Amino acid sequence: MSAQTLEIRRSSASLWGGATGMRSIPAVSKYIDTSTCIGCKACEVACQEWNDLGPVATKQVGSYQTLPTLDAGFWNLIRFDEREVDGGLKWLMRKDQCMHCAEPGCLEACPAPAAIVQYANGIVDVNPDNCIGCGYCETGCPFDVPRFSAKTGKMAKCTLCVDRVSVGLEPACIKACPTGCLHFGSKDDMVALGNARVAQLKASGFPQAALYDPRGVGGTGVVTVLGFGDHPEWYGLSASPRVPLGVKFWKNIVRPIGFIAIVGAVFAAFGHYFNFGKKEVRGAADSETNLPSA
Amino acid sequence: MSATPTPLRDRAMDAAVIAGRDRENILVGNEIIRHRLSSRLIHWSVAITFFVSLFTGLPIWTPIFAWMATLFGGLHVCRWLHPWAGVAFMLAVAAMFFAWMGEMIMSPDEKSWIGPKLFEYLRYQSDDSEVGKYNGGQKIFFYTSALGAVGLLVTGIVMWFPLTFPQILRELMILLHDVTFVLFTVSIVFHIYLGTAAEPGTFGSMTRGTVTRAWARLHHPKWYKDVMGER
Repeated sequence: MSAQTLEIRRSSASLWGGATGMRSIPAVSKYIDTSTCIGCKACEVACQEWNDLGPVATKQVGSYQTLPTLDAGFWNLIRFDEREVDGGLKWLMRKDQCMHCAEPGCLEACPAPAAIVQYANGIVDVNPDNCIGCGYCETGCPFDVPRFSAKTGKMAKCTLCVDRVSVGLEPACIKACPTGCLHFGSKDDMVALGNARVAQLKASGFPQAALYDPRGVGGTGVVTVLGFGDHPEWYGLSASPRVPLGVKFWKNIVRPIGFIAIVGAVFAAFGHYFNFGKKEVRGAADSETNLPSA
Repeated sequence: MSATPTPLRDRAMDAAVIAGRDRENILVGNEIIRHRLSSRLIHWSVAITFFVSLFTGLPIWTPIFAWMATLFGGLHVCRWLHPWAGVAFMLAVAAMFFAWMGEMIMSPDEKSWIGPKLFEYLRYQSDDSEVGKYNGGQKIFFYTSALGAVGLLVTGIVMWFPLTFPQILRELMILLHDVTFVLFTVSIVFHIYLGTAAEPGTFGSMTRGTVTRAWARLHHPKWYKDVMGER
């Protein structure tokens, strides 16, 4: 998963982990159209096969959904939900996986150098060599995606098939989709495709249709067409996802202040010594040899 | 009592101090045993587990200290070792708390150490004539250390098994762990400074276990009188 053929844009816990900027690499994106998804789960199977994740025991949750949530060994999950809208039943399905945020909370929270990297094309990937399995990324993720694998002791999630993308192939899930509700390409192209589809939906009885590409995380590497765009929560999506405030506050305010406090304490001790010197018995009158008898 | 200066190495004195290792607050020759051997062992257990926790935690805290992870065999080892070192630290602090709590009861007038008295003390301007075995600052440090250790353990457990706790709790505990550790480390920096460079003769009370009579009279006059039976 550490595709070294790709340039890195950002790297977790790295002081100077910026991009080289040698080449201009366009951001890539998945396109998911929930309105044409038939819930066949071909993408789930393709993901398991391509990533060698193996079979997972399904869990009955009262719908066609394979598992209640994503899993360390299951990175692509079709979520099923039933809703009563205007007296009619709507069967909502959405392909859930890592959203590959432009500003990834997982990467920001991660304490292990280069355990989470964002490639120049926007793919956010866990590098298991460097992952220490602390789980901070799960705290940082606004979409509840990374999962701890008890088997490997590492975190795991969708790689956006970085190994396929880096050699010019589309992700396995996209390849497997039979209805054409999944596409892959440059972010710009996928957003254009999404906007066109949203316009089509609006004209055909879905005035609330919208493209889900939340600004709070700088946009995502997975753009999703939602028939009921005013209710992303119906699809298990946050209306305004953000890197958790606690994580931001911790990394950008508490940590620098704490660092200055600790280094400052060392300097203060030296300063005290230079200013006040040591506190000890001085002069012959106070010496060992002239103590009052016990 | 001999009036000659202490020789560089006095084997008879060494033997006497060793013989008295299970007792404290007693005069042996011209030295006073301040900390019995068990107290010193407890103190250094706390110190060692603290530093293992600190040096395994700092590289996880910020990559500026990433090099420290090398001391333990890498960041993966730190992630494994840090929580266990923390548990050992908590056990050591608990032992210290119960061993010393009897001597740490604060008198009402010692409460002023929380405020201006501490700064007077640091400017060497405080009136120490009523200071017993421990001054108010030491007692406050004792209680805040114990409280800090509990805080680090409680917040640390959430961070140890993060995925079993709700999101908001994880965020909060990481923040509290950070703040507690920073305050703790700052106070330890001063603790070490005061116990070594700033107050010569103090370090020996935690190694050999003894202090000189002059040291006792300067820093802990009331305790000195108690030991010498001058009350």
